[in-house]
Amino acid sequence: MSPALLEIERLTKSFGGVHAVRECTFSVPEGQVAGLIGPNGAGKSTVVDLVSGFGLADSGSVTFAGQSLVGKRPDVISRLGLIRTFQTPREWRNLTVMDNVLLARRQFARESLWRSITRARRIRREEEADRAAVRAILERFQLADLKNELAVRLSGGQKRLLEFARIAAAEPRMIILDEPMGGVNPVLGARIGQAVRQFADEGRTVIVVEHNLPFIEKICDQVIVMDLGEVIAQGPFSGLRATPRVVDAYLGMDQSHE
Amino acid sequence: MYWVSVITEAAVFAILALGLDVVWGWAGDFDLAFYGYLALGSYMTFVLTIGKPVAPVQYIIGGHLPLLLAMVLAVAAVVCLAAVIGAVALRNLRDIYFAVTTLGAVSALYLLVENYTPLFNGYNGVYGLVNPGQTALNLTYNGYRIVFLGVVLVILALAYLLVQRLSRSPFGRMLRSVREDERAAAAYGRRVFSAKYRAYLFGAALAGLAGSLFAIFISAFNPSAWTPQELLVIYAAILVGGRGNPRGVIAGVFVVYIGLVELTRFLPSPASRPDFGPALRQILIGLMIVLMLKFRPEGLFRERPGLDGAQGLAARLLRPFGTRAAPAPAGGVPAAEEQAAGDRGAG
Amino acid sequence: MTTFLVTIGIGLSTAAILALSAVAFTLEYAVSRVANFAHGEFLTIGAYAAYSGQHIFHQSVAAAAVIAAVAGMLAGLALNAGLIEQFRGRNSITIFIATLGAALIVENVLIIVYGAASVSYSFGQGRLHHVGPFLWTTTDLEVIFSALAVAGLIYLLLQRTRFGKAVRAVSQDRALAQVSGIPARRVIMQTWALAGAVSGFAGFVLADTIGTFGPLLGFNFLLLTITATVAGGLGRPYATLGGALIVGLVIQISGTYTSSAYQLVFAFLLLVLLMLFRPNGVFVRRSATEVRA
Repeated sequence: MSPALLEIERLTKSFGGVHAVRECTFSVPEGQVAGLIGPNGAGKSTVVDLVSGFGLADSGSVTFAGQSLVGKRPDVISRLGLIRTFQTPREWRNLTVMDNVLLARRQFARESLWRSITRARRIRREEEADRAAVRAILERFQLADLKNELAVRLSGGQKRLLEFARIAAAEPRMIILDEPMGGVNPVLGARIGQAVRQFADEGRTVIVVEHNLPFIEKICDQVIVMDLGEVIAQGPFSGLRATPRVVDAYLGMDQSHE
Repeated sequence: MYWVSVITEAAVFAILALGLDVVWGWAGDFDLAFYGYLALGSYMTFVLTIGKPVAPVQYIIGGHLPLLLAMVLAVAAVVCLAAVIGAVALRNLRDIYFAVTTLGAVSALYLLVENYTPLFNGYNGVYGLVNPGQTALNLTYNGYRIVFLGVVLVILALAYLLVQRLSRSPFGRMLRSVREDERAAAAYGRRVFSAKYRAYLFGAALAGLAGSLFAIFISAFNPSAWTPQELLVIYAAILVGGRGNPRGVIAGVFVVYIGLVELTRFLPSPASRPDFGPALRQILIGLMIVLMLKFRPEGLFRERPGLDGAQGLAARLLRPFGTRAAPAPAGGVPAAEEQAAGDRGAG
Repeated sequence: MTTFLVTIGIGLSTAAILALSAVAFTLEYAVSRVANFAHGEFLTIGAYAAYSGQHIFHQSVAAAAVIAAVAGMLAGLALNAGLIEQFRGRNSITIFIATLGAALIVENVLIIVYGAASVSYSFGQGRLHHVGPFLWTTTDLEVIFSALAVAGLIYLLLQRTRFGKAVRAVSQDRALAQVSGIPARRVIMQTWALAGAVSGFAGFVLADTIGTFGPLLGFNFLLLTITATVAGGLGRPYATLGGALIVGLVIQISGTYTSSAYQLVFAFLLLVLLMLFRPNGVFVRRSATEVRA
């Protein structure tokens, strides 16, 4: 069992008296694909926000690769190697597909105002390597023909793929996918599943927040179940059916679509 | 000579507009304080070159510095002011809150300058910077004005090249991603405040430069020259020309400014109503703003994102014997000229 | 001590006018989700309408007030139909800029019609009255009473009538209100008529208090209106009254202890401070759940 890349301990957050997350505790080993499931209102998205820096926990700890994430800004956390998606695809609408994915490459030094003026030519040369890598990634996700299209003109499915292309370009240590299968047809769903497994094969750690249980069953090594802000079970998918608390939380485990 | 004057003024405003476009077009922040930066650039240029004040006129500093040095210091002063206002307004405020805050800040400064005479001589303002260096260069008055026009055009060209280079750079791309979606930008490691702040200071520096040139052009400066409404003319120009497109912005300024000047020149201004001409001009500006926003918010020249493949083509053209194979542009080279005519994230 | 109380007294008078303007502004925001930068023009139009009307009805203050309110009401309807509804569904900052453009147009039309120079009414200010520790002119008293009356009427309107309920529904969710059978467009129109009328009246009262006024009357007052609205909390008509009071007091106190020239400087600094620390209003506990990148 590899060491835990992400450790969450007793994470708590309430909004005006309502406990969205309550003493939440779980850990995800490096290289694993973990599912985070639970009925609506279980607190999954809040946990994702808290971990990725888009919300401030009331108490508890979040440790990523030995570093505490609590109180850190989202961009700081991202630079540590943690990339997250949002429930609706958030592409940069009026930029091209190429620019969208290029921006995911972690070349922050080139974005200095001063250097963009004084070293423009050298930067453009250095950027070629990244552009080549991005073109390959676009091929992988079948977006190569659209590279000069504005992202806003993509179809819903293409926008989802664009998100994955961005993640691939960022080469993160850990990925948190927030409901990647929302409103997705089976063909696209299969592609997404492939992409996730490829990330895992590359050694990246993935947490998938999802309602689509067959999808979870197929790709996850372990599953964390939340209900009413708490973690009520953690383990392989097969074991969940036998856990009465989990069965209670979900009215029937055999849903195939949301 | 009339045209010399008109084109000089338009060119100065074009420099201001380039700076404002960086903040609004690229970063998406609707700022209402920018004319204040032009004003400070102007005022500082005056008080650093016209020497000590003679009673009853009052103003700070009163130096006799060489013009170029004064201009540099004026721009520096403007960047300092922008650093303060930007630090306050950009950190957590967006859209209307940001706009109103900048308006509040610049209005407070306006009233301060207007009423606290020791600063810049209050309501009456400063004057006396008439064609600096004219005698040294052995020029006539008109000759100087023509040379000055040439200088301003050169500066505008340099500013344009600078802005264009920045627009196409990773910084420009990153700034636009922040405009399009801040959360996603943060999720991919961008420091949103830092990006907007740098853009703000850069834009303000251009505004300060414009102010400096304006001081020389107009040879006197007082509060009536910089009411917050003046900025709307520049916004109209950017709207007409094209947000986020430096070429469009310059075109917009020239079209709007010269067009307006020409349009209203031939209209009768009744002797009893000297306000008629200027008021009509303002009405046209207002109409322009509303109509452009309604029917063509992206402007005449749309923002053109850099295209991939086109650069490979350029490299191939420049290095006919290059060994590195430029990748074949998939799907054709230029042509993503169409853009969904929607509003952007920040309007 | 007396100076302080007199200062507060004057502050109340200013606050009353500010309250009227701010409540109207808040109504416009609540029902159309737009920060209406042409709002000041309703006041200016009201003031000028009363000025023109004065030539017809001569010294009648009441008639002038009615004319101002009617003019404001028409302006509100016109802006709503001609601009706000035209930009429905667009980005909020886009509409905001459009209202700026509209304000520019209205101001300059007024300059063409009335000239840019200041004008004034010929109503008297009335005698001074001692009301407790405060020192007010008849006009001041009329202003305060009418402001309270109008505020009271608006309260009754919003809380006790079907119209009020409809307004509150539409301001919460226009689509939902429409689906529930509320004629949203009509309600919005009526709200703008109401807001315009109140603003026109406020403009007249403001002009009467100041003495002389020009085409920029409303626009200059707009930033103060926004300060009061922000202080109270955008979209909450009752808290707005408190916000207006705060701004009025800041203006008068700073004016007395420094100089009247700098009153507005302090008011605008207050605005900046509010935006920084209490953008949701002074009366709200600031919640730090939104984390900014």
